[in-house]
Amino acid sequence: MRALCWHDVNDLRVNDVPEPEIVNPRDVVLRVTKTTACGSDLHFIDGYLPTMREGDVIGHEFMGEVAEVGSSVSSFERGDRVVVPSFIGCGNCGYCADDLWSLCDNTNPNPELQEPILGDVTAGIYGYTHAFGGYAGSHAEFVRVPHADENCFHVPDELDDEQALFASDAWATGYMGADFCDIEDGDTVAVWGCGGVGLMAQQSAKLMGAERVIAIDRFPERLRLARTEAGAETVDYTDVDSVVDELDARTGGRGPDACIDAVGMEAHGTGVAHAYDRLKQRLKLHTDRGEALRQAIVACRKGGTLSILGVYGLMDKFPLGIVMNKGLTVRTAQQHGQRYVPRLLEHAAEGEMDPSYLATHELSLEDAPRGYELFKHKKDGCVRPVFTP
Amino acid sequence: MTQSGTVEHRSAKTGSTAIDRPFWTRLASIVAGGALLAIGLRKRSLGGAIAAGVGALLCYRGLAARDRRGATLESEPLESEPDGDRRPDARFSGAAPAVERSITIDRSPEELFERWRDPDTVTRVLGPVVDVTADDPGVWTWRIVGPFDRQWTWKTEVVESEPGTFIGWESHDDAAIPSWGTVRFRSEPTDRGTVVTLDLNFDPAGGALGDAALNRVGIVPATLVTKALRRFKALVETGEIPTLERNPSARGYGDLV
Repeated sequence: MRALCWHDVNDLRVNDVPEPEIVNPRDVVLRVTKTTACGSDLHFIDGYLPTMREGDVIGHEFMGEVAEVGSSVSSFERGDRVVVPSFIGCGNCGYCADDLWSLCDNTNPNPELQEPILGDVTAGIYGYTHAFGGYAGSHAEFVRVPHADENCFHVPDELDDEQALFASDAWATGYMGADFCDIEDGDTVAVWGCGGVGLMAQQSAKLMGAERVIAIDRFPERLRLARTEAGAETVDYTDVDSVVDELDARTGGRGPDACIDAVGMEAHGTGVAHAYDRLKQRLKLHTDRGEALRQAIVACRKGGTLSILGVYGLMDKFPLGIVMNKGLTVRTAQQHGQRYVPRLLEHAAEGEMDPSYLATHELSLEDAPRGYELFKHKKDGCVRPVFTP
Repeated sequence: MTQSGTVEHRSAKTGSTAIDRPFWTRLASIVAGGALLAIGLRKRSLGGAIAAGVGALLCYRGLAARDRRGATLESEPLESEPDGDRRPDARFSGAAPAVERSITIDRSPEELFERWRDPDTVTRVLGPVVDVTADDPGVWTWRIVGPFDRQWTWKTEVVESEPGTFIGWESHDDAAIPSWGTVRFRSEPTDRGTVVTLDLNFDPAGGALGDAALNRVGIVPATLVTKALRRFKALVETGEIPTLERNPSARGYGDLV
């Protein structure tokens, strides 16, 4: 079958690879119908995350049609149309029982690569680094999904593919980030980043009752989507001297009640701190450019909530003293998709939220390297390229 | 050789390989690193900066190795663990295990004890590296297949066992790869399940060369123990072991690292 493979830093190619098969009795194999790029892919494409191997099939945000069914799968049969969260849960461990699916104890085949760094082991994920499992990804004609009864979700017939696809990751992640904020009437929520996850966080915050959402980015077309689709106020950080001062001014000197970081380790900025981050990252002296996260910490009101969705390495210059002295509540996780997907599909079916506008570019799998170029450099207004294998 | 004598011999061997050799390696690393650092700092150039950086890294590795070894020796588990976690068999208590790890599994100690007595289970949790078959009750044959189809086989025998609590085994005296291990089961006071503690030791002939040969066939004790416990937990909690078997990539099929 054809699949998009990582060969080296900034070297993606479409190759012939073997087709996946049922290996364990709770597996299904899906024929992938839609699969999309995620901002977190850029971190290993750009060489900032270790344990990729030449030839890895990438991609972790997808939907498909069940093609083969393992002997112990009870809820799905051939032909079912399903969407799949990017982190793999087993459904049997204490973490899955607590609805903390991305912390699943039993789905990472490479614990020895992850435990020495994290001090523990997370769930496995499709199409990512080997420390996070090394499972073949979804940018392919077929993909194996372990523990299918826990990880596949039927897509209602009335929903288009694009309405369901982003429930796999961008929507579930953004929704979780807003959920972390325990939003109350009258709250103001600031969101750094207007990519897929940021836009979903903004829209979800509104859905959960935020009075005001303030979105921060620098790309005009993404800021426009924040205004038109998420009903957010916007800040172009290249137009202001200080994002923190701007947010302070817009919130009566208090700061936002909750701040969501939907940017991660490759943040851009305009100040000296960003230039220092960039130099240090280039010299491999640290892993993260953390300007967005630091702004969120400083901007947040006393006693407020900091919700971190961006992917980070072993970040230094994390101003813990500010977090502590302002009494911030920090909430963060990789997405617990299985907790949210049924609710998201219901929102879509009820017409309460529609993420399909994220799909700015529909491409074939053969065009996926070009799709990642558009996506990485935000060319042609690209928010998310969606590939059809 | 008596069993206690065997344990003492292994303890001494562990001492010679784990303490003396790293000391010289460390010293060499610190001396070479210090020299590079000094030379690099004198040269105010890009090459000098790189040399200084490499020197600093070597110094750090030398010093860090001392810390790691120190931590290993100081964390003598039999001295520091609570009474309930001690091995019931005094024959095992004289040696500091090379690698010991614990995991909590949501099953009863009795169930886990029975699962571990099944050689098929042990074969599955040790992955593709080691194959275990039962000859007689408590006597297992272990087999490792290395590069060029070279095989090592040896027998072990359960020398101490307490249902729901403890299993200890040792290889026979003529074993190609002397090995011994224990697995202990302790119920958690809360309803979190059972703490399973595994201690696996392999003592190949040939010292460092033997260690290297084992590493080459995939037996790195710390890795093997971590992975075995994780796989055991997954198997008993889900009925499956997470695997990259037949995992497609541009490298072909399978991804068993």
